[in-house]
Amino acid sequence: MSPLVVRSWAAWAPGIETEGDWQGWVRAPTQLGAEGIPNVGFLPAMLRRRCDGLSRLMLFTAQHCCEESERDQVTSVFASRYGPVNTTLSMLADLAQDEPVSPTRFSHSVHNAQAGLFAIWTGNQQASVSVSARGDTFALGFLEAVCMLHRYPDRSVLFVCGDEALGAPLAELANPKVGPHSLALLLSRTGPGQPLSFRLEAPAPADAARGWPEGVEFLRWMLSADPSLRLAGHRRSWVWTRG
Amino acid sequence: MSGATPAKLASVGLVTTLGDSLEENWSRLVAGDQSRFSQRTDLIPGETRLFGEVREELPEIPAELAPYRCRNNQLALAALGPIRDALEAALGNFGGHRVGVVVGSSTGGMAQAEAALRVRASEGQMPARFDLAQLEFGGLSEFIAQVSGAAGPCYAISSACSSGAKALVSARSLLELDLCDAVIAGAVDSLCALTANGFFGLQALSKNLTNPMSRERDGLTLGEGAALFLMTRETGGVQLLGCGESSDAHHMSAPEPGGRGVETCMRAALRDADLDASEIAYLNLHGTGTSQNDATESAAVSRVFGPETPCSSTKPLVGHTLGASGAIEAAFCWLLLARRQGGDLLLPPHRFDGRIDSDLPPLALTREATQVSAPPPAAVMTNSFGFGGSNCSLVIGEAS
Repeated sequence: MSPLVVRSWAAWAPGIETEGDWQGWVRAPTQLGAEGIPNVGFLPAMLRRRCDGLSRLMLFTAQHCCEESERDQVTSVFASRYGPVNTTLSMLADLAQDEPVSPTRFSHSVHNAQAGLFAIWTGNQQASVSVSARGDTFALGFLEAVCMLHRYPDRSVLFVCGDEALGAPLAELANPKVGPHSLALLLSRTGPGQPLSFRLEAPAPADAARGWPEGVEFLRWMLSADPSLRLAGHRRSWVWTRG
Repeated sequence: MSGATPAKLASVGLVTTLGDSLEENWSRLVAGDQSRFSQRTDLIPGETRLFGEVREELPEIPAELAPYRCRNNQLALAALGPIRDALEAALGNFGGHRVGVVVGSSTGGMAQAEAALRVRASEGQMPARFDLAQLEFGGLSEFIAQVSGAAGPCYAISSACSSGAKALVSARSLLELDLCDAVIAGAVDSLCALTANGFFGLQALSKNLTNPMSRERDGLTLGEGAALFLMTRETGGVQLLGCGESSDAHHMSAPEPGGRGVETCMRAALRDADLDASEIAYLNLHGTGTSQNDATESAAVSRVFGPETPCSSTKPLVGHTLGASGAIEAAFCWLLLARRQGGDLLLPPHRFDGRIDSDLPPLALTREATQVSAPPPAAVMTNSFGFGGSNCSLVIGEAS
């Protein structure tokens, strides 16, 4: 695959919000917190009211990663393993009691709700794809972002990958456990930033358990001095190299 | 957008309320058969509605894949049947790691999650048979990889009712980037209480059968089904010639009334296919039968195509299969090209009450199954628009 450039990034996990916070975390990575929610006071009140936890996570990192002048110009990929699952769960609880489903909640329960809210907030009419791929969601979301750069070579792609903490009774079924987190990367084919190449390789033995998700591991690597990162996927492994 | 790499729709499996074989789907499609819908009283409390339910018995999920047991995956398994031979050949020729899976869905195994939450409400805990893999969209792509032996990139796309069309777009990119030699691409959706009650709450569910483009139209009729293609880098046959994508940036559940996003999307697909609107022999409309969709779509279609291009909605025959609709309607387009009769194409009829909405711009709706002269290579288009303002148009055509 052609090399690409990470033009900018932003990430959020409980208590770790700024670039400085992340630089500090990378020096001594520890398990991420299980609870918390970013402040999305930058959103108009109407839109903010429509935001569930996942929307707050994803829009916070999208806002910090992508400058306002560019927000309506980028294509986008939103990747989430579970999507706005707590909104779905609240409707399922209503249905289990034969209660009606809230139309607003229903329309915000789609897996691309965060992509839709991003487009409505920024006036962005470009192509957007919403992805889910079990434990490989970060890597395959990244791959879809590479596909977007292929389809729209003159545009940057905003890649946002995150999940919210699952509510009961789904939380105990999730393996690994999920804490609220989001990572946004602004990728382009050329230009200033961190040049990377990305490739698929033969399967590798599973990675040792980490206290943080794949997207955050990618960020840890990007901010480190290590020349490459390998994530063991389910059937392939995913390799990023600098330069 | 499009490169020099061909994206052949080499083989397809299709399951809808019209049947679980290509032959049944084709013969009932061109016959305009609306007899297959079922009345169901169990999905919406106190309401009886028609649903395009798949009537055939579906294959069982193998015991070793028990965590993936749900109707949605059974529909996927049924749609895999007809492409098995082509798939085996691809796995043999290229190796499993060169065969990818990109599938769309908007429901996944939601019905299983609904049942599990009901058990929890009455018994206090989730049933052991429920697994998150049934609810996650990535569970569908993973299931297809496991039963098929595909070991390349494997993911699900979920953008509401554009999911299936967008899965074909991404699959083509994987072929063009030489990441795969073949991709299982398509979409699967199954009936569930959540979507039935959700659309009912939005007052978007038709009291009777959906009636697109009629002045009496009152909403959509839900359906279920699956269409899975094997896409390859081969030349010839029926190809995915062009893809257009856009976002409305307007409203979560209502299209932008001027149809600007939809128009952009259709024009992008034409440009990508390097075709003029006049070269499109048939347009398969999104045509949901809701007041807003039909007004928006007809306005945009009229601006792009004018009043002459034959078009129809096939949703009065199979229902709105949501995320699967883009792939199912691409399969209908594939069928009408693959079943061409000499220099002619046979187009499916647009079934409705005939009471044209004079507030909408005139479209060339196919009132009966229509034979049109379209010597090869012919091309057709299909539209898919989803919640969140996610639009996708595909141009499908014969290789030149």
